[in-house]
Amino acid sequence: MNFFRSCENANHSEEKLLRYRVGQRLVHAVLATSFLMLLFSGLMVLWPPLLLWVRSVAPDISPGLIHRIGAVLFMAVPMLYLLVDRCGARQLLVESFTYDKDDIEWLKHAWRYFMGHAVGMPPQGRLNAGQKLHHAGVVIFSATVVFSGLALWFAKGYLGPAGLALAATIHGLSMLVLTVLLVGHLYFTFVYKALSAMTTGYVPKEEAMIEHPKWVEELEHQSASGKSF
Amino acid sequence: MALYAFLLDLSRCIGCEACAAACIAGNELPAGAQYIHLIEQTHGVFPHLTGGFKNHRCYHCADAACVKVCPTGALYKEDGLTRLNRDVCIGCAYCTDACPFNVPQIVDGRSSKCDACAATTKAGGQPWCVRTCPSDALRYGERREILAEAHARVEAIRARYPKARVYGEAEAGGLGVVIVLPDAPEAFDLPANPQTPLLLDVWQKVVQPAAVGLTGLSVLVTGVAAIIARRNHMKELAELRAQQAQTEQNAGAQEGER
Repeated sequence: MNFFRSCENANHSEEKLLRYRVGQRLVHAVLATSFLMLLFSGLMVLWPPLLLWVRSVAPDISPGLIHRIGAVLFMAVPMLYLLVDRCGARQLLVESFTYDKDDIEWLKHAWRYFMGHAVGMPPQGRLNAGQKLHHAGVVIFSATVVFSGLALWFAKGYLGPAGLALAATIHGLSMLVLTVLLVGHLYFTFVYKALSAMTTGYVPKEEAMIEHPKWVEELEHQSASGKSF
Repeated sequence: MALYAFLLDLSRCIGCEACAAACIAGNELPAGAQYIHLIEQTHGVFPHLTGGFKNHRCYHCADAACVKVCPTGALYKEDGLTRLNRDVCIGCAYCTDACPFNVPQIVDGRSSKCDACAATTKAGGQPWCVRTCPSDALRYGERREILAEAHARVEAIRARYPKARVYGEAEAGGLGVVIVLPDAPEAFDLPANPQTPLLLDVWQKVVQPAAVGLTGLSVLVTGVAAIIARRNHMKELAELRAQQAQTEQNAGAQEGER
């Protein structure tokens, strides 16, 4: 991925590699916070017992207001990413929709990775094929959830029964996919102890060698040729 | 359980708007809220004019789209009528889009529509609009009696209005406002066959339960698998480290032998 050399950081050592820069971690935090706000307030509307319970604790809470604040934050994420780490945003977008032979092989053996076996999986770059699919899914279904949400927010009273049903169905299905993707995301974070990568930005080199050998190789190549990473 | 309904005889409505005024006053509606709108309808070319007054209000559909889409249960069916609990309404406005008659409005951030004077009628009284109507165009009672009255009134006016019919007997699952129409529904700007799109049912009965079910299932599956998978990963890391330590030890031993 020579196009994105300028995305890399020089901070590394023999033990650990910088995987997420400060900007990327900030964007991730905003995305996670806004998504959880949307999910929680959406569930409050869908599932009245939750709303009743929340209102028993905080009587003045408004799921609609939480949902709208969350929606604005969620929609601001792409802009924020471009603002704080333009190269990283482009890299993520391009890599998420680019798959090579190793990625296809990796996906064929994804079940092994799901069960916690990273050793022996086909070599992967900065993102493994599962992460690429996850990010691609997040991009696509975020777009559909945003557009259907905007229709439900701003076109109320003009949608008519069929328009309402269509927008709400797309919104619900998109949110279903994004929620299942979130569950998968949390699963792999737990199984591969990956949370510290997002809190500190660093990953142990030993584990990167197992899961992302092509990425480590690329970093070492760049380092040897005197370019920063 | 008895089902209740209104009788709305548009052949007798004189458009005086007493019902609308009584509704606002009797229910102490806030500014901007109005449950009944009288809309004059005129058709044809002079001197062959026909017309009347559309009494635009909640028709209390049995198969009520607004109830289907209401996420909080603020809109609900009771005694065959569509009630509204504004305390629970969050103002999502889904009801305004879903209604095939375009009835509910958002007033002060919450849904606003006729609830058939719930407090009064549950106590055995008559709705304000019925009490006030000077031309006997409105009645309220058990639905089967209202239907019988509607059919009788249609027969009585058939000679004068050949297209007269009862509207609301089966439309939208049967309306809670049974209308004596002196002309075709279109002449009063009423849909001939009011329907809710199938997709509304798909959204409510398939997508939403599936969303909750599949999310729960994914949490369950990953919750169980996570314990096994993490153990597998820790084990393979330990094996890899032991292997590397052994390799380094062997390399050290070979170095020592040299």
